[in-house]
This record gives sequence, C-alpha cells and structure tokens, in this order.
Amino acid sequence: MELNNNGQERIKKAALLSIIPGLGQFYNKQPFKGVVFLAIFFVFIIQMATFGIEAMTGLFTLGVTPGQDHSLFMLIEGSLQLLILAIFLILYAINIYDAKRVATLASIGIKTNKSFIDIMKNVYQNGFSYLLALPAYAAMIFAIVFPVLVTVLTAFTNYDFYHIPPANLVDWVGFDTFKDIFFLSSYRDSFMAVLSWTVIWTFAATTLQIVIGVFTAVVLNQKFIKGRRFFGIIFLLPWAVPAFITIMSFSNMFNDSIGAINTQVIPLLNHLPFIDIDAISWKTDPFWTKIAIIMIQGWLGFPFIYVLVSGILQSIPEDLYEAAKIDGANAIQRFRTITMPAIFAIATPIFVTQYTGNFNNFSMIYLFNEGGPGSVGAGAGSTDILISWIYKLTTGTSPQYNVAAAVTIMISIIVIGISLLVFKKTKAFEMED
Amino acid sequence: MSTSTIIRFENVTKQYDNDAAVLDNVSFEMERGKFYTLLGPSGCGKTTILRLISGLVEASHGKIYINDKLVNDVPANKRQVNTVFQDYALFPHLNVFENVAFGLRVKKLKNADIQKKVQEALRFVNLEAYENREISEMSGGQRQRVAIARAIVNEPEVLLLDEPLSALDLKLRTEMQYELRELQRRLGITFVFVTHDQEEALAMSDEIFVINKGKIQQRGVPTDIYDEPINRFVADFIGESNIIQGKMLRDFVVQFDGKEFECVDQGFNPNESVEVVIRPEDLEITTKEKGHLKVKVDSQLFRGVHYEICGYDENGNEWIVHSTKKAVVGEEIGLYFEPEAIHVMRLGETEEEFDARLEAYDDQGVENGN
Repeated sequence: MELNNNGQERIKKAALLSIIPGLGQFYNKQPFKGVVFLAIFFVFIIQMATFGIEAMTGLFTLGVTPGQDHSLFMLIEGSLQLLILAIFLILYAINIYDAKRVATLASIGIKTNKSFIDIMKNVYQNGFSYLLALPAYAAMIFAIVFPVLVTVLTAFTNYDFYHIPPANLVDWVGFDTFKDIFFLSSYRDSFMAVLSWTVIWTFAATTLQIVIGVFTAVVLNQKFIKGRRFFGIIFLLPWAVPAFITIMSFSNMFNDSIGAINTQVIPLLNHLPFIDIDAISWKTDPFWTKIAIIMIQGWLGFPFIYVLVSGILQSIPEDLYEAAKIDGANAIQRFRTITMPAIFAIATPIFVTQYTGNFNNFSMIYLFNEGGPGSVGAGAGSTDILISWIYKLTTGTSPQYNVAAAVTIMISIIVIGISLLVFKKTKAFEMED
Repeated sequence: MSTSTIIRFENVTKQYDNDAAVLDNVSFEMERGKFYTLLGPSGCGKTTILRLISGLVEASHGKIYINDKLVNDVPANKRQVNTVFQDYALFPHLNVFENVAFGLRVKKLKNADIQKKVQEALRFVNLEAYENREISEMSGGQRQRVAIARAIVNEPEVLLLDEPLSALDLKLRTEMQYELRELQRRLGITFVFVTHDQEEALAMSDEIFVINKGKIQQRGVPTDIYDEPINRFVADFIGESNIIQGKMLRDFVVQFDGKEFECVDQGFNPNESVEVVIRPEDLEITTKEKGHLKVKVDSQLFRGVHYEICGYDENGNEWIVHSTKKAVVGEEIGLYFEPEAIHVMRLGETEEEFDARLEAYDDQGVENGN
C-alpha cells in the first residue's frame, strides 16, 4: 500500500523519538510499552553509573596501581558488563524496530493494540514461544557465553606466573601469546610436539577402538558362533567398570619394575618357543608409553562401538546378503558392499564424537603416566596431549593462563571445525529415509 | 524326464532341526521356458521350495536337479538361477546402475561389457533413463523393476520371484502382472513365482502348484485347477466355493441336499460319500419353482462386477451366489445350475489317483462320443 507523506513523516518521527527508548511508543499511543522501554533505559543508565562505567574502564586498562587493582576481577567484571551492554543494545534495537513497525501499521490504517490488556494478549498469542525460551537464553548467556568470553579474553593478556594479581597487574598483549606459540622457538617446538602427538594419538587410539568394536560385533553377529550372548556380556565389561579405575589399574600393571606385565606376563610368554622378550620400559620410554596408552584406550573404547554396531547389524535385512550371495559376492565383498556402508551411514556422527572425545581424553593421558615420561618443553611431557598440557599450564608452580587459554581456543576451533565438516558431509543427519 | 525339464525335485524334504518338516517328500519337474506359480497360504513351504532351488538353503533329504545336474552341493552363485526378493533387497547406498551392475562387478567383467549389459537389462524393464537415480528416489514399482533388472542381467535360466508384488498397491500390482508375464515371454526363461494371491496365480501362470502343509496338493494349468479342484483345500483356496457333503449314487448321478442331481462325474463306487463343489458364479437365480434348490437370502454385498448373495436352504446349508441380478434379503429364491457345474471330489484322493481317474474318464468320454 502506498504511504502518503503524512504517514512517512509519522514513521520517521516515531523512529527518531525512540532514540530515547519509550518516547516512540508514547508517540504511537502505546503508553504501556513506552513505560516498559523507558524503565529498561533508566535501569541501564543507573547500572552504568553505579557499576558499568567503572567495569568498562577496568576492562580497558586492567588496573593501573599494582597491589590495589585486581586485574583478574576487573577482567571478569568487564566481561560481565560487556554482556549486559550487548543485551541492552539488543533491547534498544528492538525498541526502535517496534516504534517504526507500529507507526507503519498505524499509518496504513491497521488497528494497533493500545490498551495494556490488548498488548498482553498479543504477547501471549504471538510471543509465547519467545517468552518460554527467554529464561533458557538468559541462563545460557551467563552460564556458557560468559566463561567462554573470559577464556577468550584471557588469551589476549599476559596472565602468567610473572603477572599474578593483585601483586602484579595483567595487561593486554594482543596476539602476542599466539605469536609466541607459533613463532617463538621454545614454545613452538613444544606446541608442535604436543599437537602432533595429539593427532597421532587421536587417530591411532580411536581407529583402534572402532576397528576392534566393529570386528567383535561382526564376528558375534555370525549365526554359527556358539555362546554369543556370553561373549556379548564379557565384551561389555570394560565399559561397566569406571574408566579411571581401569586406567589406574593398568598404570600399576605397566609399572616398569613391579608391574604385572613385566614381572609375570612377559616371563610367561618367554616360556613359549622362539619368544624372548626383555622387560619393557613402559613408563620411562616415551615410545612404549604411547603404545601402552593406545592399546589401553582400544580396550576401554571398543565396547561402546561393539554395542552400537551390533544394533546396526541387526537392522540390515538378511535379503541383501542373500542377493549378494546369489551374485557370487564372497564374505569380504559382502562386508565391504553391504555391512560397511550400513554402519557408516548410521554411525559416522558417533565415530566423529569418538575422535573428538579422544582428542580431549584427559583422564587416559594424565592418569596413566601424568603425561610423562620426560619433557618436550613448556611444561609438557612426551605423552601430553593439548588438553593435559592445558591442565599443566594452569595448575603447575609456574602457571601460564594466557597460553592455556590460547591453546583452548585452538582446540575448540579444531574440534568444532572437524565436527561441523564431517556432520555436514555425512548423510546420517538427514532426517528423511 | 524329458529334455525340456529344467528343474527336478526327487523326494525332497526340508526340516529345520527337529521341527516338523517344512517340505515333506516333494517331487516335481518344471519345464524350460514356462511360467510356474507356487501358490499356498503363509508357511506352506512355497518359499522353502524357492530357496532350495536358489541354493540359499540345503535339502535335508532328496535330490534337486537343475539341467539334469545334481545341484545339492552347488553354491547359490554357481547355479543358473537368480532371485527377485519380496522387499527387493536393493543396496541402499548404490544407485540404480550400480545395483544392477553388482553381480557383473563381482564377476570382474570389463567395464564396457558391464555398461552394455546393464543398459540392456534396464531397457528390458523400461528404466533406461534412471541409471543415475538413487534407490531412495525410486517409487515402489520402480524399485521392483530395478530388482528384476538386477536379476536378469546375470542371464539366469531360471528366475525365482518371491511374492514380488505383495508390497505394491492394487493398481500397480495388476499392471506388473501383465508386465511380468510379458517379460517372461520375451526372455523365454523359466519363471518360478511364489504368491498367496490366487487371482495373481490364475492370471499369470502356465502351471500352478497348489501347496499346503509342505505337500503339493495339486498341479496343473489354471483352468484345470479352478474347474477340477482335487480336494476341499484346493477348492476353497482357489476362488470361492460352495462345498457340500454328498453321496455318489451311481455314475452321473449325485445326491446332496436331500435330492438327486444329474452330473458329469463317474468312476466312483456306488453310494460312495463325496464332497460336491459348485462355484458361486455357476449358480443362477431363478424363481422358487424353477430352481433346483430353494434358498432364503440372508445377506447381500455389492462387489462391483457382481452381487455376492449369501443364503441358506431348508437343510441349513450355506450357499454363496455371484450374480449380476440383485436379490432381496429375506426373500426365498430358487437356484438353478447345469450338470456341468457340479464337481464331485473323492475324499482323501491322492494326486496320482485323481489324475488317473480323470484320464480314464476322458478316454471313456471319447469312446462314448464315438
């Protein structure tokens, strides 16, 4: 509908008046809305005056007087204030949008809600879903966005053991921490060592547990196997015992001098002909520690895959195998052309979570040998993965919170990026058949 | 055994563990290039016969021959037999072309040959333009055709079809019946078709095997099976029937419902107890006076092509009539039938005895005619 000059004037006026929240609504003869927006505006101004301005300047400077200003608290308060500011800006935008929209409706002759009751009715009818979701959004902002924001900001400071507030001030350093990690030789070497081992660990351990899981599921799905149920229960045992207990037990069993592997298993194996193995330095040789960790993770992780794949195998129609048999496909061809695609079509997202899970599998690395043996610099041991390195960076005697925060950001980017990529490429998330 | 025999079962029994036999001492021969239907209720053993032919299960006893070669120990892929499964069994992650090409790829044929053969098979089932479609994009009828193409691309001598039409809607099913029959004629190979739908069996087959409880009850061309059922089960399973207890007084005279009727059956003992079959469409509605039977109409259904009228005579026997004429519920009507409409069945007669009796009486009929 064509708007006359009068109408356009009206819309402009409503929008301009809304620069002070509420006035536009008063102009639109919606006093209730006007009061609400005006009240929000006043609350915001009071908040800014009493707390906000100080918090924002604090976030900017991170303190000026050592011993008096606590930089960490200033960072946290400032982050909080940033969120409040963002919420207010959203409300402010809604205020202008609302004033304009109501003015537009009124100028083309559509009746607008004027009374309190009509407005509440409108909110109830059209905005009910928003009303219900509002508390969840609010909780999310403060429970999830807020800590993430603080972590991200920390990565851009020099918050380490030289700068522990309140004795010392923390300062903004921009991308210096990232630059150090990538270009400063001491950091770069340890970072690359940890990162490459993290990648190797993730692929080796996860692939191993998937292979064992799929293998056991396929074997136990064969009809000629006797006692399938019995084996099924046995296979679930590694899953039933809490992982940290298992890891600790294995850690003891792999002890170089008194562990069962070196004192009992290997001597027993040596009774067999042609086998002669020396005691293996499971805990002191990085290579053997890595082997042990990967094997234990394969043992710990396969039951879940076994259960998952067993379920999928039950759902593959027997017809498909018979059709393939008639066409002359042998067992391996049948597995490759029927079983594998069926498993991947359903389980790919779960496999991805297994990979990302091991990427961040702190307990396996830390409980077995505390990331050791030895050191690759910057506090990291030779079997430390990124997540356990972060733990050491933040808990040791010389913590480096800024490096930890920067590594955390990189981990997040890697994990989120890979997950998104794989999830988008697989069909498992398409909801049609 | 003639040279045209392609499949031969000799006293084949199939038993799982110690359960009752699914297939009980069955013997038959199938000829090259014909359309056979195995017809029977669920669990009668018809699918077991199919799986024995295809080699997916092994016989417990007896011998199975294909092309006069004992195949009991020949694996499924070494028999010149292919199967179209009930739920098509198409590989969901492969497209139409690759589904059809699967068997050829397993046999490691050259790519050019595969291309040619798959295209030809798809042309046979009218799916030329669908090569690159995903299976999930195909309708039920199209999937059916892909399954058939996948089976015929291997150039089998026998094609086994396990209730392939049961998942289709009625209209599509009728269409596919014509197409399957046409396909069988063009390919010239033997089709063994399993169904529990008697109309499908009658419409499509050169020969029908009616199976119940692991035994072949009767085999023959559709008209013979329909017109001359061997026993109560066959008469009841193939189409609707009025079956009534009677007594064969002498040749050409049967007594039932308290009256004597002229018929065309002979070769029975005098006063032998028999069962009498009259098809509903052979009964004609007439006035009480003109009818052979007097029936009180109990209910009436409109079936489209005819009315299905159900009534009871004075002895309490139920009579079903298919008529284009309408009856009035509650009224008494007369039912008229020709002597040819009466079919007399001997109780507990085996297939051999039945065939022998029919043959003897055919000869006699010819003599009489002379």
